Order: sequence, then structure tokens, then C-alpha cells
Amino acid sequence: MDQRQAAHTLEVIRTLMERTCQYRLLTAGASLAAGTLAILGALAFFYFDAADPVAFASVWGFVFASSLMGTFVGTLMRGREVGERVWTRQTRMVLLALTPSLGAGLVLTVFFFARGEHLFLPGVWMLCYGQGALATSAYAPSGIRWLGVVMLVLGALSFVLGTGSSIAMMGVGFGAGHLVLGFTLLSEERRERAIRLYRSVA
Amino acid sequence: MSVFKSLFDELDPLLHERGRLAIVSALAAAPRLTFTELRDTLGMTDGNLSVHLQKLEEKGYVTIDKQFVGRRPQTTSQLTRFGRKAFTNYLDHLEAIVQQGRRRNFA
Repeated sequence: MDQRQAAHTLEVIRTLMERTCQYRLLTAGASLAAGTLAILGALAFFYFDAADPVAFASVWGFVFASSLMGTFVGTLMRGREVGERVWTRQTRMVLLALTPSLGAGLVLTVFFFARGEHLFLPGVWMLCYGQGALATSAYAPSGIRWLGVVMLVLGALSFVLGTGSSIAMMGVGFGAGHLVLGFTLLSEERRERAIRLYRSVA
Repeated sequence: MSVFKSLFDELDPLLHERGRLAIVSALAAAPRLTFTELRDTLGMTDGNLSVHLQKLEEKGYVTIDKQFVGRRPQTTSQLTRFGRKAFTNYLDHLEAIVQQGRRRNFA
């Protein structure tokens, strides 16, 4: 065995270890779609009144449901593309790590709506999302960790700035944050495709 | 070349087979894996995986646990402390070969 073979073997071992513990079905497309939807959602409040709980719930409910659907479809497509099953140990680990923050987000959403203080919710959602993203960071690409940190900072900032800026913070956090993550994942996906093409030709 | 040869001779022959190395690499990254998870992650056939696991178990590198989950039998594998140590040594030797090669290239 020479230096090149040893280096190649080490690279293969690393890939195998990552593959065993990392969730690899996050898609750039779903992240870009979620980011675009969040920005459109924030822009919609130039037309709707954010203080109206029905308008607030309708717009963000639509953004959330559409993003979730996009993630679901994107995950299925990615699984098919890379030839991996969707319901794996990694998927279960990621969902388990997300459950506490999702639960907390749901309870706090009901609580703030019931008190008529829904304009605090963007800050709450960003804090819960940031916590959830950090909880999954052990099994996810490094971009998720950064998104989690940014969301925690923006969530805290949203409380400092008050309810007047909460919609704008949603646009920045969920919108711009997901767009940046999406472009990062896109470059990784292109790199992976190039490597697969290289290996199939070599 | 003699330095390479001595380093190469020190590589664990059991781990040097790529199927077994792949199994141990996967098990080193997770506390335990089921037979199905290992098979799907590594893209091995049932027979191939079974033979390699048996060999690793015989040498004390992994433990294999068979139990029923509901009515279904489930086989889980786990790296032993001895197996983890052997894997770490194997990685150290590979790194030593890479370092040795780099030094020769610079010399």
C-alpha cells in the first residue's frame, strides 16, 4: 500500500462514517423554496394587517404548510436521486431531536394566540427553530448549525426590538436564512454530482 | 520502500479486507446498528455481510445480539472495546503511511 492508497482508504472510511450518522436528504430546492415563501409571507403584510390574528395565522400557516410539503417532496426526490431510503435511523434521530422544540413551539403558539399577543410569535418560532436546528446539528450538514445559531440570535433580537419589527425579522430569519442555507446545499449537491460523474467516467 | 513495507506489515490483516473495514467503520460511527441498517448503508448482500460479521465476532471485534422486536427477529451489532482499539490502530497506521509518503515527497 502506498501513500495514495492509504489516503484514499482514509477518505472512504470518513465517508462511510459520515454516511452512517449523518442525515443526507436535506435538499437545496426545499430550503430555497422555504426561504422564498417566508420572504413572500413577510411581504404579504404590506397588504394584510399583522395585528389581525386571522391574517397572521393564515399567512404564516400557509408558509409553514407549503414549506413542509416542499421539504417532504424534496426529501423523497433526493432519496430517489441518491438511492437511499427516506425512513432511516438518521431520519428517526433527526425527528427525535426536533420533537422537544417543535412541541415547545406548538404550546407557545397556542399560548400567545390565546392571550392575543401573536406578534411575539416570530421571536418564539425563531428561538424554537434555532434550538431544534442545533439539536439536529450532530446528524446534519454544518450549514444547519449556523442557521440554528443565526435563528437564536435573531429570535432574541426580535424580543429586544419589540413586536413592531417581528414580521421583518421573520423575513430575515426564515427567509434570508433559508436562502443562504439553500445556496450552500446547492453548491454541495453540485460538488457531489460532479464527484459521482467523475467516478462513473473514471 | 522498507519503511512502507514495515508500516504495511503492521496493518491489521482482518481489517484490511474492504468489506470488514467498511463494517467496522460504520459501527465506529454509531453505538449499534441493525443488520438491515448495516446492509443498506454499505450496500452489501445479506450473505456477504453475514460472513464478515461472523468473522469479526469470532475474533472479538464485534458483538452480535439477536432478539425479537414484536414478532420479528432483529440482529444488532456493536463494536467491542477491542475492535474499536484495533480500528483506531488501523487508522493510525494509514495516517503514518500518508505522513511517511509526504515526507519522502518533500525530501
